[in-house]
Amino acid sequence: MKRSTRVLAVTAAAALALTGVATAATPATAAKKIKIAFVMGAVNDPFFNAMKVGAVAEAKAQGVDLLWKGDAQYSAATQLPIVKNVIATLGKGDGLVLIPTDGAALQASNDQAAAKGIVVANVDTQVGNLSKVLIQITGNNEDGGAKAAAAIAKAVGYKAGSTYEVVIGLTSATATTNVARLEGFKAAVASTYPGLKVVDTAYSESNSQKAATNVDTWLTKYPNLKGIFAIDGTNASGAAAALQSKGLVGKIALVGYDAYPANVDLIKKGVFTALIAQDPAAEARLAVKTIVANIKKGTKPAKKNVTIANVALTSSSSAADIAKYTYKTK
Amino acid sequence: MTDSKQASAFKEQSPLRAKISSLLSNQSVVLLITLVVLGTFFQWGSDGIFLQTGLLGTVLDEWGSYILLAVGQLFVVITGGIDLSVGSTVSLSSVVAGWFVVQQLKVGPEVTGADALPYVLLIAGICLVVGLLVGLLNAFLINKLKIVPFIATLATMGASNGIAVMISVGMPLQGPNDWELGAPWNIGGIELPISTMVFCAMFITTIVGLFLHKSRFGLYTYSLGSNAFATRGAGISVEKHITKVYMLSGGLAGLAGAYSYVRLGAGSNTSGMGMELYAIAAVVIGGASLMGGVGRIVGIALGTLVLFVVQSGLLTMTVVQVSPDLKQVIVAILIAAAVAVQTLQNKNGRK
Amino acid sequence: MSGEVVYEIKNASKRYGSVIALDGASLKIHAGEVVGLVGDNGAGKSTLVKVLSGAHQPDGGQMFLDGKEVRWDSPRQALESGVETLYQDSGLAPHLTVSQNVFLGREITVGGILGKLGFLNKKKMNHDAHRDLEAVGIAVPASSRAVSQLSGGQRQAVAIGRAVAWAKKVIILDEPTNHLGARQANEVLNIIRNAKAKGLGVIFISHTLPHVLEVTDRIVVLRLGRIVKDAPTSEFTGDTLIGTITGTIQTIKVEGD
Repeated sequence: MKRSTRVLAVTAAAALALTGVATAATPATAAKKIKIAFVMGAVNDPFFNAMKVGAVAEAKAQGVDLLWKGDAQYSAATQLPIVKNVIATLGKGDGLVLIPTDGAALQASNDQAAAKGIVVANVDTQVGNLSKVLIQITGNNEDGGAKAAAAIAKAVGYKAGSTYEVVIGLTSATATTNVARLEGFKAAVASTYPGLKVVDTAYSESNSQKAATNVDTWLTKYPNLKGIFAIDGTNASGAAAALQSKGLVGKIALVGYDAYPANVDLIKKGVFTALIAQDPAAEARLAVKTIVANIKKGTKPAKKNVTIANVALTSSSSAADIAKYTYKTK
Repeated sequence: MTDSKQASAFKEQSPLRAKISSLLSNQSVVLLITLVVLGTFFQWGSDGIFLQTGLLGTVLDEWGSYILLAVGQLFVVITGGIDLSVGSTVSLSSVVAGWFVVQQLKVGPEVTGADALPYVLLIAGICLVVGLLVGLLNAFLINKLKIVPFIATLATMGASNGIAVMISVGMPLQGPNDWELGAPWNIGGIELPISTMVFCAMFITTIVGLFLHKSRFGLYTYSLGSNAFATRGAGISVEKHITKVYMLSGGLAGLAGAYSYVRLGAGSNTSGMGMELYAIAAVVIGGASLMGGVGRIVGIALGTLVLFVVQSGLLTMTVVQVSPDLKQVIVAILIAAAVAVQTLQNKNGRK
Repeated sequence: MSGEVVYEIKNASKRYGSVIALDGASLKIHAGEVVGLVGDNGAGKSTLVKVLSGAHQPDGGQMFLDGKEVRWDSPRQALESGVETLYQDSGLAPHLTVSQNVFLGREITVGGILGKLGFLNKKKMNHDAHRDLEAVGIAVPASSRAVSQLSGGQRQAVAIGRAVAWAKKVIILDEPTNHLGARQANEVLNIIRNAKAKGLGVIFISHTLPHVLEVTDRIVVLRLGRIVKDAPTSEFTGDTLIGTITGTIQTIKVEGD
């Protein structure tokens, strides 16, 4: 099924290229208020909620209408009809910010929007062929993995020549962000911290209790364990609970991902050595801003692919940084 | 024809062989042997660390978070039904309880130790009520709207998950917690692999098990799954009993939600993710038949233990490092094997 | 030999949608009498059984038990009033023991608080089940044995024994000799004679006409939802019974319109 949709998408893209439809960038008249539709990954995912806060603020600042759309599940099957519906309601001189849940499956809709004169941006993930996309903005998950390695190294007082046992809590083999973060972590270990030895990995299967069980097991299996990298929000919550229930807070370096407010509080209590935070709000703001500038003035961004760095929040981070990166719900 | 004459006709085999074969057809004995074999294997495979208190404690901790679901599932499965909503009920109940305490009462994770106990009890109460309500909804869909249990509980599963995510906004609600409840017992300087939480789960399992095997409630559960028509014919209200069974399953799932709250110190919308499948697997490994009418509490307690001894054991292996992908494959094979063995036993055992 | 009228249904009708399953059926059963209920498939036998057992409510008509008008809202009410029904092929729960089946719906609990919680007195149930089954002429192996381990004949014997043991006034047996061998069927017929001797009114529904002719005192023939013949068994031969059932022999109504 996946292959067939990909073939379809490629065919559609080729057809569009042949007819020579260009991305519309005609300046709009002031009379009509610009509409920007934001089709995101999953309603009520904290990451996308934080993104929404940024999008809403920027739309207000720019004086445009924002349509926030998405399904409860992160799935191409449910996202496709939403995108099609949105494209039907938009017209020339409007904008679409798309978070493609599947790069191949969403390609055709992405290009169809552009063909209609809608300015399209991709955020977080991207369609396979970016030729019809004005700008693609993503958080850098590899960089986040590398920052996690650095944070663990710092916490354990890394010295070249010594070995430090580290474990990594993953969600599943197929979670793409997991894979990117893991690769970034391993690359940093190979190049800078060869003494960090990844002794084990395990899956939480998206269940925070399972994440806690995995860490519980490691705590007994590796009496010399120095560090834990909990690669996403679920693993972070589970690992934090395991350390708290075993009374090992502060004795083992725990680096988590995703700046849930409750987990940010746990930095202060010393449960998390560091939390790697993305800045979804900044991604959204930049997407809205770039689209509006293009519609109003025809300007194109200097770079088509923009990466917004992840940041490591620690107990020594400034209050302003902590406030900026903590996922907001309102 | 006297009783003894008739009964003797059933004893054709030699007494010893008959005894051995009847022992081996007893699921609990098979599971106990399996546990010994697995324990020995993992003890070897982990360089002698598997059978130490700390790891056994972790295994029992995980056993505790699943056993209440498995027990509830057992009742449902004995009636010939299935309850897919139990995992999401864990999430929903813990989130509702966390939401009430954290966002309504404004009590946060800074309250710990004995000060948190009253809140933990309140949370357990809320979780129980939420679970009972989900069970009641399942029963309503099955009894009144005549939806088959698989679809009815699939619907409540989706709804519960959705509501849990909406209330929690996808993030754990950290609240007051007494972490000691999950800590291993220390009696006279000796650490035992059992915590207050695990003890509570064992206690509830025992009580519910007694009701299954010794009481009218249990008898009706078996008779319903064995022959619903005869049960109705005996003047028993099938609908009422279905309601009770699904409420029991929901209520136990709610208590498992409270268990997850204490384990995580938070109500989490991911705390029950996928648990229904392990609960069903545990019930099947424990010897219950998805066709209804069959299953024993001891079997399910041991079946759940086997399931998580394997998971924990694979994670503990040091002789060979088992990759997480391979681990999932092995667990899947184990479940398939258990079902196959059961099917074969049924074929040989009956007729 | 027959006593008072114990169970009576008057002018009962029942329709399912546009199908008239029962059309003004009237029937009397006396104490100590075995009434055979026969008819082709779709003649209305099972509807009549369901109405008599309380599983379905008739659309019209009256029912009298011991001369008093009754109305069943559920099978439970009928059971409690002494009308016991054994449904075709579905009398027992195979996973339960013999005694659990015998006592299903009427369990004996232990004393005290545990009894209030529904805890069962298995010992007494096992003992009493054995005694009660023996009393109606059935010898089965240990009553703690699961029904699935019994032979087909033994199962049927237990099912009928259960019904006879509990029935206080009337017992309705729907195809009790179905799928049974000759010897086992004979045992079942003996149990029916036992029930009759106990003074119960017995309604015996069967396709096996020789059994009907052998054990009944009176035969009621249903056709297309109507009772077309109600006469002492002695008035029938095998041929006339078949003719009446299929309608090749014209009948006059014995019960008034």
